[in-house]
Amino acid sequence: MTKLFTAISALTLSIAGAAVADAPSKADILSTYANIAEAKFDDSLIAAKKLQAAVNALIADPSDATLNAARAAWVAARVPYQQTEVYRFGNAIVDDWEGKLNAWPLDEGLIDYVDASYGGPSDENEFAVLNVIANPSFELSGQTIDASDITPTLLSDTLHEADGIEANVATGYHAIEFLLWGQDLNGHEAGAGNRPYTDYVDGDGCTGGNCDRRAQYLSAATDLLISDLEWMTAQWAEGGDARAALAADETAGVSAILTGMGSLSYGEQAGERMRLGLMLNDPEEEHDCFADNTHNSHYYDGLGIQNVYLGSYTRIDGTPVSGASLSDLVVATDPSLDAEMKAKLASTMKALGNIKSTAEAGFAYDQMLERGNEGGEALIMGGVNGLIDQTKTIERIVTLLELDQIEFEGSDSLDNPDAVFH
Amino acid sequence: MRSLTLFTALLIPFGAYAQDRAPILMDVTETHILPRFAQLADATDTLATTVQADCEPQSDTLRAAYSAAFDSWISASHLRFGPTETDDRAFAMAFWPDTKGFTPKTLSRHIKDEDTAVESPAAYAETSIAGRGFLALERMLYDPAMAEQGNVAYRCALIRAIATDIDRNADAMNADWQSFAPNLTQPGDDSPYRSGDEAMQELYRALTTGLEFTADTRLGRPLGTFERPRPNRAEARRSKRSLRHVELSLIALSDMAARLSFDHPEIAADLDTAFAQAIDRAQSLDDPAFAKVDTPLGRIRVEALQQSIHKIREIASIELGPTLGISAGFNSLDGD
Repeated sequence: MTKLFTAISALTLSIAGAAVADAPSKADILSTYANIAEAKFDDSLIAAKKLQAAVNALIADPSDATLNAARAAWVAARVPYQQTEVYRFGNAIVDDWEGKLNAWPLDEGLIDYVDASYGGPSDENEFAVLNVIANPSFELSGQTIDASDITPTLLSDTLHEADGIEANVATGYHAIEFLLWGQDLNGHEAGAGNRPYTDYVDGDGCTGGNCDRRAQYLSAATDLLISDLEWMTAQWAEGGDARAALAADETAGVSAILTGMGSLSYGEQAGERMRLGLMLNDPEEEHDCFADNTHNSHYYDGLGIQNVYLGSYTRIDGTPVSGASLSDLVVATDPSLDAEMKAKLASTMKALGNIKSTAEAGFAYDQMLERGNEGGEALIMGGVNGLIDQTKTIERIVTLLELDQIEFEGSDSLDNPDAVFH
Repeated sequence: MRSLTLFTALLIPFGAYAQDRAPILMDVTETHILPRFAQLADATDTLATTVQADCEPQSDTLRAAYSAAFDSWISASHLRFGPTETDDRAFAMAFWPDTKGFTPKTLSRHIKDEDTAVESPAAYAETSIAGRGFLALERMLYDPAMAEQGNVAYRCALIRAIATDIDRNADAMNADWQSFAPNLTQPGDDSPYRSGDEAMQELYRALTTGLEFTADTRLGRPLGTFERPRPNRAEARRSKRSLRHVELSLIALSDMAARLSFDHPEIAADLDTAFAQAIDRAQSLDDPAFAKVDTPLGRIRVEALQQSIHKIREIASIELGPTLGISAGFNSLDGD
């Protein structure tokens, strides 16, 4: 039996071999994939430096104008970063690192003051209302922590994931978002968080208390964002570890591209981020909840999946980055499957675009989540269904390219392969 | 492990040959899937009827009906695709893990507002999934903090609304599974499954995802880390059903695995041995809610159970999947 299978298999492979004469090499596809990663992380870094400049201006001279400029810089910084998320699943080096930048959801009471409706310490998290900005010293796992200076090291080494709890997010985009916007207390009504600039006024006129420590926190978190992005950009540069990992096994590398696309589409975005919020009808259960920027967060995640498949990305200064793509490889073997993939990616982008344009026209994402809001539900489910549908085609491509015995795993198992079987 | 899987991939001519999927697809659908949803609809019907006569949280009759219905759901919950996924039904049956405490928050809000959605099954079905299903009902029946909120009449109405909603949901799944079944047994252009391979992949994925959920979530969450065990994170710990869920899910998955491996007796035997060991470890564990995971001995036993499930997963992914020529593809646990 085995012999027969092998013979048929060899035959199939040789037919496939003839058909793929014009196909790009795996090395070229991986090179484009890595070039796009490098460009996206570098763009994220450039945008984060603009955010840092705006944050410095806010701290030096707090006003509505400087606060709004910092908020605008944060929203702009999300555009390239969200497009990198397709690199998470499949590239352990990204997945191990990304929690420092984009961890969500967070118990924001760890960081700063919150409204009484937020509640107190929970079953899950004793530190849900620690409020480090108001507390220069506190107990953590039996140790007294000196937080008189809020430094990048304090945030990354002590506070982030304190007590082993993922909701204790002390660093990254969402911590900064909370410090710029504050809690969104509008429920299902329009409007984002409304932190006043006076939360950063030193001395008389300070609101919310401890304005100097709040400024220290914001500055430290922004510095960390930059050093973390610098590190990741270097990993994707020529000679970097992320490129080396892909080159080490080209078949596994191509599989990593598809794993990233499928895991982000299905379990992460369609499930955790979009459908769950809708099922819970909870206005806080949206990815960029303080800034009301969730429509963009979803849109650029989707765009990242699409541009990785097509092997073509436009940088934030307009420079194109493109080359041999996974799409080219699929075309060479099964053009109709490539057409199916392209059509599904485009229809997902149309659905995510509908959410984005509707939100920009004034119907905010948190309003879409409200119980019984049929228009909102239809918009969000349009995106969810598109993402689920495109995952099916991603699986078909995996089968077509005979990558189907390479294990797909979520982020936990990539973090720690031993966690799967030990 | 990844290198091992990769190695297997190089050796086996995966998926390059056609296998006749029809007998197994028919067997799993007719003998494994459909009876479970019929049983679930029956058990939830009893629950919904019981709760109309008796909504006292401490009532033995009510708790027995609750327990039987929840058992039926756990025995079917690995079949989380097709009609089970439609309209968020699986989430609405059991929203867990609830990492941000949505269930108690949602129930407290219903009670405080005396939300009138409890008066109409259609309206209750529109409310947050966190206030629906067996884990919401568990809070109402077993959490003393809930028994202190609001008044007894509203709490009773809420208990009835949740039970009725569960029954409605189970009936919808049962009905839809009858009409969905041909998609699995006759894949092709008229089915969401283009080929027997795709239908088979769905079933294999249900097996591997079910094993992953039981090992990593049902056991992994209360285990936490050695330094920081988390007994409070055990599933349905208030009704002391945590271990029972592990056992029931293993029994259901074992039945499915036996059917999927029917054409390959050696693999079937390996799976059977591994399942028997895991089920035996579950049955000999005297810790219904995993409360002892913060003691060294208690922890070792739960870890041993978890490892015996990892062993099953290994056989499924190294022996069964490649031999059937299918992979698990993506599942909802991918992501973080």
